[in-house]
Amino acid sequence: MIGKNRRKLITASAVIAAGSMLLAAAPAQALEQGITTSSIKLGITIPMTGIASPGYSKIPGAMKAYFDYVNANGGVNGRKITLVVKDDQYIPTLAVAKANELIFKDKVFALIGTLGTASTKAISRSLQLSARGIPSLFVNTGYSGFADKKLYPTSFSILPSYQMEAKVIGKYLDENFAGKKVGLIYQDDDFGVDALNGFKQAGVDFAVKIPYASGSQGVAGVAGTWITKLQAAAPDVVVLFGVSSATAAALGNAYAYKYAPKWILGSVGGDATTLTANKVPAAFLAGSKGLSFAPAPSDSTDPYIAMFMDVNEKYNKNAPFDNNIVAGMTSAFLAVQAIKAAGPNLTRKSLIAAIEKSSATFANPALTPLGFSSTSHVGATGYWIGTYDATGSLKPDGGKYTVYTTDSGTGAVVVSTYKRPAMPAKGLPN
Amino acid sequence: MHKVKASNLTRLIGFVLLGLVLFFVSNRVDELRVYQGASVAMYVVAISSIILLTGYSGQVSLGHGALLAVGGYGAALVRNEFNAPVWLCFAAAVLLAALWGALLGATAARLSGPYLAGTTLALAVGLPSIANQFKFLGGEQGLIFDIGLPPASLGEFFSQYKWFFWIAALTALIAMWWLQNLLRSRYGRTWRAVRSQSVAAELAGINLARSKILAFTVSAGLAGLAGALLSMSISTVSPGAFPLSLSFALATGAVLSGVTTLGGVIIGAVTLVAIPEVADTLTQSIGASENVIANLPGLMVSGLLIVAVLFVPNGPVEQLKHRQKR
Repeated sequence: MIGKNRRKLITASAVIAAGSMLLAAAPAQALEQGITTSSIKLGITIPMTGIASPGYSKIPGAMKAYFDYVNANGGVNGRKITLVVKDDQYIPTLAVAKANELIFKDKVFALIGTLGTASTKAISRSLQLSARGIPSLFVNTGYSGFADKKLYPTSFSILPSYQMEAKVIGKYLDENFAGKKVGLIYQDDDFGVDALNGFKQAGVDFAVKIPYASGSQGVAGVAGTWITKLQAAAPDVVVLFGVSSATAAALGNAYAYKYAPKWILGSVGGDATTLTANKVPAAFLAGSKGLSFAPAPSDSTDPYIAMFMDVNEKYNKNAPFDNNIVAGMTSAFLAVQAIKAAGPNLTRKSLIAAIEKSSATFANPALTPLGFSSTSHVGATGYWIGTYDATGSLKPDGGKYTVYTTDSGTGAVVVSTYKRPAMPAKGLPN
Repeated sequence: MHKVKASNLTRLIGFVLLGLVLFFVSNRVDELRVYQGASVAMYVVAISSIILLTGYSGQVSLGHGALLAVGGYGAALVRNEFNAPVWLCFAAAVLLAALWGALLGATAARLSGPYLAGTTLALAVGLPSIANQFKFLGGEQGLIFDIGLPPASLGEFFSQYKWFFWIAALTALIAMWWLQNLLRSRYGRTWRAVRSQSVAAELAGINLARSKILAFTVSAGLAGLAGALLSMSISTVSPGAFPLSLSFALATGAVLSGVTTLGGVIIGAVTLVAIPEVADTLTQSIGASENVIANLPGLMVSGLLIVAVLFVPNGPVEQLKHRQKR
């Protein structure tokens, strides 16, 4: 009897011992929310409907298409990427509610591509992304505030800052319109303040400066007064540094007034598809100058654009290929590249560290160097300047991208000698 | 059967008990639910503000979003300029919005029906964009409204959202308790008299204009409080947070709650918070297209509104009471 019990005891102890050894052998750290050994879940909240949705609503589809392409080729470090899409209608309250669902219900690993300064700010603050360590990848806003690493330590923006853009335009004016009269229309808020700082640094002396309050461009008659003011001051060249609707209103009214100086369009309001959809004739746009940091969507000789077009055809129902598609796929490409660089033991921390540490070696479509570092979370660092052709598409002058690069501070604007890393085979990050 | 009327004391005890229940529930649910709870509390205050105005004093407002904006901006300004404690920010929001309400009420007292609805609608369209005209309101970017971290004494793992919920729920409970007392007082009776039979009320010696302005003022104050709660929960205040659709959602919430009684206010509030999630689950399970996903919540709200007007025009609570009486 006793022997039997003892044997039972020994067996039980052995089982327990073996069990605890197994437990000890199991990975010490559980995987973080949103990742398994075979999957990664990302989330985006963006205006899919409502006033700000035209154009931007194409971004998630483009991202998904690229992720699907990567997944079909084995995923990244063996993990397939899924993207959960929510519609926030460009309303900050809704954006926070949707981001909450993404994080607490859909349990995504990281946010990507949130759009709009107010929404992005609200999400970051209310969800306390920094305290929770949740990465917010490649936000779709160029507001320089997000470069503040102390306030937004887990957020990364891909657009160059407005200050950089203003400095590049300043350099261009100095080289091509020295001694000529220059006019400016800008948005009277943080967006415009950033730009004014940049222009000041570049030493641009405007003959006429017209600020507009955000939203006023939609009020009947307002944009007309801009044109009368411009006509009175008669500048040779006018810089339009506003959102798409303001740029469209200025150009539309100028067309009606038969007023045609040389136009320079800031990148924010320079999307030709949006402008022509808002009653700016492509022919009127032709000859104007514009800026971009990514290759032109029409440039099928660029390997990235060619690859994106191919992916767009196969995985995105061949949606009309424009800036928004390029923007979405560029963000997706960079996200895949960053996840790859973070290695197989992916964590939120390791992802952020990978972007800060090795972005200089990241393959990506941008024609400017990537500026991510442990002190800066701003991605692209400059622009190329091109001309809109008769069909309204922006093409580099002389068929060659001349890229200017600078910083958000007092640094000079120089022609970039940056050679973009060659596109990895099949457009799959390595 | 002898009907037992709840005394003031039992009602107060009821509110305290409800508060305790909420307190225990908040410790049991996850963060998403806690956040939604804070939203429900915000909607309770906002909807009751409309019910007070429409159901009790007979005035229509389609522009309550604008008054919420006034409260939100007021709270944020007081917080940012004077680093005031949260309760003081809320008090400032109530006062500022009430002041606006009094001004608006003075105009509104001269208008009625569709004219009043139109005026308030114009306000909802116009007011938020005023923020773009003045630098101190932060333009399109808006202002930060950061109430700070929960007190350390609550422990390291006490989340920000639970803190939001506690504040919002407590505020809503106090506001509701105060409001239902007010509606039982002389003022409440006066408002009802004006709504039901304005001529008779005037003959009885009630100053119609003064009564209407007072109702507008109190309603605006509550809306301001709701605006402060909303801004707290998203930690910012910006024109974009108070779109026209918010004003309409609040009006819908009031109809769903039953616009003539405060009793059903929780129904409208929960519905407004639940609909986007229900729609989400629904579209996910049937795998609908993006177009459907985007428009389903709006469709459901509109559908519910029509159903409510058709079958329970006075709200579910009133309907139940009515049925019991028969």
